[in-house]
Amino acid sequence: MSESVSDAVLNILAKHTELDRDKVTPDTPLQLSGVDSLMMVEIIFDLEEHFDISIPDEMLGMQNQKLETAADVVLLVEELIQKQQTA
Amino acid sequence: MSRIVITGMGCISSLGHTCKDFSSKLMKGVSGIGPITLFDTTGFRVKVAAEVKDYDELRLFPEKQLSKLDRYAQFALIASREAVADAGLEFSGPLAERTAVVHGTGIGGQTTQELNYFKVYTQGMKRLHPFTVPKLIPSAGASWISMDLGITGPAFATTSACSSAGHAIGMSMLMLRSGIADVAVTGGSEALITYGTIKAWEGLRVMSNDTCRPFSLQRNGMVIGEGAGTIVLETLDHARARGAAIYGEVTGLGMSSDAHDMLQPLDKGAAAAMQAALSDAGLAPESIAYINAHGTGTPQNDPTETRAIRQVFGSHADKLVVSSTKSIHGHTLGAASALEAIATVLALNEQKAPPTANFQDPDPQCDLDYVPNTARPMPITHAMSNSFAFGGLNTVLVFSRCND
Repeated sequence: MSESVSDAVLNILAKHTELDRDKVTPDTPLQLSGVDSLMMVEIIFDLEEHFDISIPDEMLGMQNQKLETAADVVLLVEELIQKQQTA
Repeated sequence: MSRIVITGMGCISSLGHTCKDFSSKLMKGVSGIGPITLFDTTGFRVKVAAEVKDYDELRLFPEKQLSKLDRYAQFALIASREAVADAGLEFSGPLAERTAVVHGTGIGGQTTQELNYFKVYTQGMKRLHPFTVPKLIPSAGASWISMDLGITGPAFATTSACSSAGHAIGMSMLMLRSGIADVAVTGGSEALITYGTIKAWEGLRVMSNDTCRPFSLQRNGMVIGEGAGTIVLETLDHARARGAAIYGEVTGLGMSSDAHDMLQPLDKGAAAAMQAALSDAGLAPESIAYINAHGTGTPQNDPTETRAIRQVFGSHADKLVVSSTKSIHGHTLGAASALEAIATVLALNEQKAPPTANFQDPDPQCDLDYVPNTARPMPITHAMSNSFAFGGLNTVLVFSRCND
């Protein structure tokens, strides 16, 4: 499960940053890859659609220090999926 | 008061993606009306429209831009890029600040609105794409034109149904005359050949189910078209100073409202706008040689417009040449006054009145010379373009040759 979540998240990040898919790894820093707040809004939309989750507003935007790398996004998505399943 | 000239034109319509395509089909009377292909018309009474053809948005715009760019705004951009290139203008520094963008639309991002609401209302979609709002707002076209071309002066959209672009051109004229701007990129855009919208128009009972035959006895309604038209207006001094090629002068603006009905047109309101345009241009009715009519092809509009023309022009009405090019490019609503302004300027430049296509037999209630089916070479010094919108919002523009 975890691996496929990671793959899907990285695919979505690659699509929006227009980076080659092999260049996007869990260590990829979001800001340095050109992810600005508007792009983040589109990424969030795709993640919510793909995983059928709801990402709370406070997780959004550049003010959120937790989302620094692609791995942080994967972690967040996994957390939300788990929450959804236990709810 | 500054004189105002046209130095650039651009358009996309059912006649093609450029002004050149528009011009050649317009003068030959080759109609862009055909079966609707943008959605499945099963169960529709109305199955025809004037669609923009051979159009692939993915080939024209980067995919990332398309998430924020409705079809209507794409058309606005295409027409405006062509018009500005045609005018030979590039915007930076003081010129960018002294240039206005005024671009009309009747509805705005209707495709975006409809497809997205369909998803939330009927398909259980939990969320909409984050750029749905910036994509559907009716000022998106004006924003995209200013961003794309780097124009930093006043920019906004006008909306008044079928007169939207007429009001846009009118507001641009007033800004240039008042000295607020030296250049204006202006016109209108519309793209509403969508399932829900055509259904809504069908309900009005004003739509033809075969083709548009303005002023003809056999007319049975209007045909919706899509597209955009943009003209570049400049003060004569500004255009001369940079040695720009000039298509003609826009000499008169007339605006009025019927204060009557949301649907029924009123001859008095239309006549008032034509009269106001003539006074604004300082011209006698006898100076006008050609009128590009509103001419929707509905049973109501065409006799009303004919009566209004007779009221304003008196005995000169029998010498006037009047045509409705909606028979060729369809009724493009918020883009109509812009495409028809271009048609009128082409008539001045080619000294030829474009025809009313699809004309069959004359209607006794419509007793003017409507240039049936074949363009007519003739001297034209001053020409008028009429737009009379639903809800009685009227704009009339007068264009003149600029020989001095």
